[in-house]
Amino acid sequence: MILRVDRVNRSFGAVHALRDVSFEVAAGTMVALVGRSGSGKTTLLNVIGGLDRPDSGTVVVDGTEVTALDEDGLSLLRREKVSYVFQTFGLIPVLSAAENVGAPLRLARTPAAERERRVALLLDLVGLAEHARQRPGELSGGQQQRVAIARALAASPRLLIADEPTGQLDAETGRSVMALLRGVVESEGVTALVSTHDPVMMALADRVIRIGDGRIDDQPC
Amino acid sequence: MLRLLAGRARAQWQLLASLLAVVTVGATLLGVCALLVTRTAGQALEVAAARAAPEDVEVTAYTVTMSGRDARSVAGDTRELLTSTLAPFRSTTAARASSVMRSLGPGEVGYLSGVEDLPERASLTAGRWPRAPGEAVVLEPTARLLGLTPDDRVRLGPEKARDPAPGMDVTVVGVVRPRPGTGWDRDPLAGAGYDLAYRDGGALQPSRAFGPFLLDLGDLLGSGSAISRLEITARPDLSAPARRDLATVTEAVLGADRRLARILGDRVQIERIASRLPSELLAAREQQQVVNGAVLAIAVLGVVLTATALALAGRLTAGVRADETALLSAMGTGRGRLALNAIAEAGVLALLAAALAIPGSAVLHAGLSQVPPLAGAGLATAPGVTGGQVVAVVLGAFALAVLLVVLAVRPAPATGERGRRELLARSGADLLLVALAAGGWWQLRAQPDGSDPRVDAVRVLAPALLLTAGAAVALRLVPPALAAAERLARRANGLSLPLAVAEAARRPQATAAGLLITLACAAGTFGVAFDATWTRSQRDQADLSVGTDLALTLTAAPVAGQGAAVSAAVGGTVRPATDRGVSVGQWLGGSGDAPRLVATDLTGAGELLRGRGVTGDGLAPAERAGGIGVPAGAGFVVTGKAAEALTVTPRLLLEDATGLRTACTGTPVPLDGRAHRLPGCAPTDGLRLVAVSLPVTGDAISPDRTDRTEVAVTLTVPGTGTGTWTATSVEPNAEQLGDPAVTATGNGLRMTATVGLGGPPDAARELVATAFADPGPVPVAVSQRFAGQLDARPGDRFDVAVGTTPLTIQIAGVVPAIPSAPGAAAILADLDTLSRALVVRGDLEFPVDAWWAGRPGHADAAERAAGLHLGPVTTRDGEIERLSSGPVPAGLPAVLRLLVPAAALLLLAGIVLHVTSDLRIRALEVARLRGLGMTRREVRRTLLGQHAVVLLPMFVVGAAVGAIGTRLVAPLLVRSDTGAAPVPAVVPLWPWAAEAALLALLLAVCTLAVTVVVVVQSRRADAAHLRVTS
Repeated sequence: MILRVDRVNRSFGAVHALRDVSFEVAAGTMVALVGRSGSGKTTLLNVIGGLDRPDSGTVVVDGTEVTALDEDGLSLLRREKVSYVFQTFGLIPVLSAAENVGAPLRLARTPAAERERRVALLLDLVGLAEHARQRPGELSGGQQQRVAIARALAASPRLLIADEPTGQLDAETGRSVMALLRGVVESEGVTALVSTHDPVMMALADRVIRIGDGRIDDQPC
Repeated sequence: MLRLLAGRARAQWQLLASLLAVVTVGATLLGVCALLVTRTAGQALEVAAARAAPEDVEVTAYTVTMSGRDARSVAGDTRELLTSTLAPFRSTTAARASSVMRSLGPGEVGYLSGVEDLPERASLTAGRWPRAPGEAVVLEPTARLLGLTPDDRVRLGPEKARDPAPGMDVTVVGVVRPRPGTGWDRDPLAGAGYDLAYRDGGALQPSRAFGPFLLDLGDLLGSGSAISRLEITARPDLSAPARRDLATVTEAVLGADRRLARILGDRVQIERIASRLPSELLAAREQQQVVNGAVLAIAVLGVVLTATALALAGRLTAGVRADETALLSAMGTGRGRLALNAIAEAGVLALLAAALAIPGSAVLHAGLSQVPPLAGAGLATAPGVTGGQVVAVVLGAFALAVLLVVLAVRPAPATGERGRRELLARSGADLLLVALAAGGWWQLRAQPDGSDPRVDAVRVLAPALLLTAGAAVALRLVPPALAAAERLARRANGLSLPLAVAEAARRPQATAAGLLITLACAAGTFGVAFDATWTRSQRDQADLSVGTDLALTLTAAPVAGQGAAVSAAVGGTVRPATDRGVSVGQWLGGSGDAPRLVATDLTGAGELLRGRGVTGDGLAPAERAGGIGVPAGAGFVVTGKAAEALTVTPRLLLEDATGLRTACTGTPVPLDGRAHRLPGCAPTDGLRLVAVSLPVTGDAISPDRTDRTEVAVTLTVPGTGTGTWTATSVEPNAEQLGDPAVTATGNGLRMTATVGLGGPPDAARELVATAFADPGPVPVAVSQRFAGQLDARPGDRFDVAVGTTPLTIQIAGVVPAIPSAPGAAAILADLDTLSRALVVRGDLEFPVDAWWAGRPGHADAAERAAGLHLGPVTTRDGEIERLSSGPVPAGLPAVLRLLVPAAALLLLAGIVLHVTSDLRIRALEVARLRGLGMTRREVRRTLLGQHAVVLLPMFVVGAAVGAIGTRLVAPLLVRSDTGAAPVPAVVPLWPWAAEAALLALLLAVCTLAVTVVVVVQSRRADAAHLRVTS
């Protein structure tokens, strides 16, 4: 198992965002996390990625107990094992597409030549080799999300967390992004945990996990 | 609308508070400046008047020649006029009068005087003061020469006038000695008590005059004696003057002359009112206007700075509210309604700011007045509110609020269009600013050198314009520099540095904040440098104006031994000095602006002379005059022999240790082979005989004769001599005294010559023996103005008249200005050389007008010098205080010291606003950096690096703009106390230590503020921000 979530609880004041959530994800699969707004999807993804801490319970990613890590350990986890794709793309506006993709590699102190090679490869993979020097403001929403996916893959993570990656895209662009995600899961051998409302995404996923009112409702394979 | 504003105020109170703070700072600065140019300015004039020397504020009425029957009424009317002129101030009056001369005997005259406060002006040495009509006291020399003792009766004969009053008897009841400095110089015989060669202009032959016979003033005025001069001095009590009353009195004194003439009519022949009060008050008012202009210039700079801070805050506010504005527009709210909302909000902010700034500026002004320089100038005051201050604060607050409204309601162009339009607008604004600044600078450069104390719009606006334009233009250099830095930073392997530099280089709002940072830094550094430059210029002006450390201007000719007394009182290097008008050839200069001759001992010019660029090198003689040392009380004996009935009237020139030369004139000595003693020529020790003049007269000289005769005169001096002596025959018609020769003998001088007994009657026939040779043309340095007006160059020679003696001067050099004669067409000469040139031309009068002292040896040297009662004392330190920290100019350094913290405060506020806003806008971005795996430390490092990369160049550029502004503008802004271009020219000063300290302080405070904001914001920018996307 690449991910194991065990009896995780998280509340914000009187609001219980996550209630006793437990599940496991096998390596190399694409899992869709489905639920309505406010159901706790983003909180769960943040807890898994170490951006937030649960009130109780444990999360283990690739053998590392995320919930036991300190701040630096969590940063290292996100740098080496877990990467994010955000709904609003999360690109750094002042950096070009290539610079955004290269950011995780810089964090990992990857040598410049290898970094450039990997950035070129990933931009080619997401179909944006021609837009390497453009900044996010000069790209369409779909292109920005492709850059975000390329950036998420840059440091070869074991787990890719995508939070509503098509939420800001039109249906057709969303489908192409989903297809891209499906493709990179297969080509890069990465495990993807994707929160979505999109039925197409659900159809592309190896597994769908439903969440409602902070609880896992269903775990169909 | 109110609900929207109230809701917005609750939600955005921090933002509104920051806007309120900026507007309040600007309005407070304006309020303080308004108080400085109104309340403090008025108070300064009052303090200056209260501190003025008594002789500067007294008013004296001089009336000349009145009949005895009118004397009392003239005195009464004059006194009343003076008192009414000085109203509403209470004043005290003192009068003195002198009668016309009366006959005392054959060839002798005497006169009566009345002095109202005689015991204050003379000390009794024998007898008592007059108590009854007809009683008089006399001066010691009068008593000695006339053989008078108390209780003697003296018969004063009829007046020497057309309609003479009969003779009268007076009883001498006492003998008095004049107190120095109490007006005896205005006595007909200058308080000497006698003049054995008195000429009153009416008689052909001189007579021996004695007096005064000092009666009670009332007694004199009622005696029926014709009064030759009546002088009444009124001294106002200005201990607590009101500005309005001072203005009233100034006008009244200026018109008093005309009123006195009207009142006195033909009862007197001449009447005149003299007073320095109006000129002193007008000069103070002019100086105040000059200072006010500079204060207003600083106020404008402060307002521009505030407006820039507000513009930044307004832009950030508009950015924060962009979504809200878009929503309101989408909901159908028209632009008019949005504008109304903005106006209402800005109006409330302006009102609140004014409400805070009015008491704030009053308290700040009061606080400012409790510390130097205002406190030292006697301008400490309690908090108070004035109308002008309220108007300035309210207008300033609302003007700044208008800026907020403009920023709030300006339409938001579509992306892309905005960039182009903003670029064009900024370029246009930059060009306009540069054009205005260039015009202002040109106007400043073209301003006339002459006095013009009026507040000039160019001088008020120029600093702000130039600094703003400089900051705007200099900012253009920052983006290319950042782009270059970014290219370098990209080579780094990590993410923090490249990201920080990229953020700094590519984010447009960094440039927007840059103007504030640059301008604030420029204003702060300019303020420090302008303060130093202004202070230095005032010091330079004071140095050159006084010319030395202490100047004692003599009201009467000095006497032998005075140098020793002045040296003992003052200490340091004490030398006599000359400062007087001269004519150069036919050139007399302009009206009231005669060429000036300044001369003093230049052998140690560095010890004595003060003033930037002043030098007296090469003007002093190679060695001191030798001469014969004379002990105190030494008796000189003259023995002369001639074949004809001839007489010489020997004049001896004696020099003391300070270089002062005094002439002692003996009585005529017949050349009869007998020894004749000259009494009283060496009253003190340390004198040296340096010259002897022997004019030959006698009955044997007649136009009808053509022959010559030999004369030989021996002067026996009980002293020892050094050096060689030279004999000269004085012009005109020097040939009438031929073969002049002098031989120094063991105990004196033997002088011989052949005298023409005929020839022109105006021939001098004067032998002058000197312990020095004729110096030839006197080497001088001349001021640039002198050189410019006469097209004079080094080596040129000119004839000048010193008194009535013509001399030739040769220009050795041209200097910017001459000490004690700044801005004048002036000549600097060595006094010894000048005196030598005069002496060999038969003029033994030593041209001395003052005592100069370099590096006085006592802290209270000025008081000690004043205690000698020889004349007014001026000190360099006193002049520096008057020009830079006195009550009138103190407002300028005060406001400059306010500008620096205000600039620092606005800079800090702007930086905090900018950084806070930036981090708020980027909170989600920062959170995602954490998502990328950046640690908090790396995030903080990146953010701090970004702001450092933006701020540091701005600081450097701001300091550079401040330095350039100082160099270009400060010398043109500094004016003299009369509004003229300062002399010497202003040297811009950049006080490195103070500037470095200021920049270090600003950097430290800003770094601290940025660090705090970054740490807080980076801590907040975490998963909480990501949750909103859930």
